[in-house]
Amino acid sequence: MNLMEHLHPHAYIPLKIGGIDISITNAVVAIWIASLLVFLTLTLAGRAGRLVPKGIQNFMETLVQFARQTLVVEILGEEGLPWFPFIATLFFFILYCNLLGLIPVFPGFTPTSNIWVTASLAIVVFLCTHGAGMVKHGIGRYFRNFVPKGMPGGIFGIILTGFMLLVEIISHFARPFSLAVRLFANMTAGHLVIMVFISLIFMISAFITPVSVVMAVVMMAFEIFVSVLQAFIFAILASIYISLAVHAEH
Amino acid sequence: MDATSLGQLVPGLAKLGGGLSIGLGALGTGIGMGILVGKAIEGMARQPESAGLLRTTMFIGVAFVEALALYALVVTFLLIF
Repeated sequence: MNLMEHLHPHAYIPLKIGGIDISITNAVVAIWIASLLVFLTLTLAGRAGRLVPKGIQNFMETLVQFARQTLVVEILGEEGLPWFPFIATLFFFILYCNLLGLIPVFPGFTPTSNIWVTASLAIVVFLCTHGAGMVKHGIGRYFRNFVPKGMPGGIFGIILTGFMLLVEIISHFARPFSLAVRLFANMTAGHLVIMVFISLIFMISAFITPVSVVMAVVMMAFEIFVSVLQAFIFAILASIYISLAVHAEH
Repeated sequence: MDATSLGQLVPGLAKLGGGLSIGLGALGTGIGMGILVGKAIEGMARQPESAGLLRTTMFIGVAFVEALALYALVVTFLLIF
C-alpha cells in the first residue's frame, strides 16, 4: 500500500487551459470550503454585534482579540494595527485549513499539507515584509540597513560588507522557505502518523484494531493542538518578520 | 560483489538512510527541545507573573527547533518514497 497516495490531490473536474493544469481537485475544494467557513463564521459572529457577547460571537471574539493582542499589538505595537487584517486572515485561514483536513472522507485533504499552498502563503509574507520595509524607510535606506553602521573602511571593509550582505540576503530567503516547509511538514507528518496507525490493522492483523484505533484517536487530539499551534506560529512569525523590517534600526 | 547485486542494494540502502535521517534528526531536536522547555518552565516557576510572555516565546522557539526535525522528515520522505 502506498502511504503517499492520499497526499496527492485528485481531480474532480479535470481542466486544462494552455498547458496549465487548473483542475478542480479536492485540494481546491477544501480551500474554497475553508475560505467560505472563515467568511461565514466571522461575519455571522460580527453581524450580531451585541455588547455582551453570546454564543458564536463570544467564541470568535476571543480568537479575534487574541489575534489582535498577541499577534499584532505586542509585536508591532499600536502603530502596527493596519497589519491586523492581514495577520488575522493568515491566522484564521491556516487554522481552518488545518482543522478541515482532520475531517475524513470529505474533503479528505489538508490544503496546508501541500507545499504549493504553504509556499504561496510564505511568498506573500515575504513580499509584504520587504514591501513594508521599503515603504517605511525608502528603498535605498532599507537596503543600507542590511549592513550595520560603523564598518571599517578600506579593502577589508568592502570584503566584510559584501560578506555580511550575502549572509543577510541568504537569511532573508531562508525565512519564507522555513515558513513553508514547517507548516507543510507538520501537517503532512501528523496526517501520515494517523494514517499509519489505521493502516496497521491491514498490515498486521485485525486483532490489533483496538490499539491502533485508540492511538489514532490520541494522535487526532494531538493534531488539533498542532493545527492551532502551527496557525499561531505562522501568523506570529509573519508579524515578527514585518516588525523586523519596519523597525530595522541597526 | 558485481554491479547488478550492488544495484539491487541501493533501494534498501536508501530506506536505511531515510530511517537514520529521521532518527538522528529527532535525537538532536529532542535534546534541544528538552533544554528549551525545561528552561522556560524554570523561568515560569521563578517568575509566575511573566509566564504568559515566556510561554509565547517558548512556542516560537519550539517551532524553530521542531522545524529541524521536520527537515529531516522531508529528507526521509524523499529517500523512502
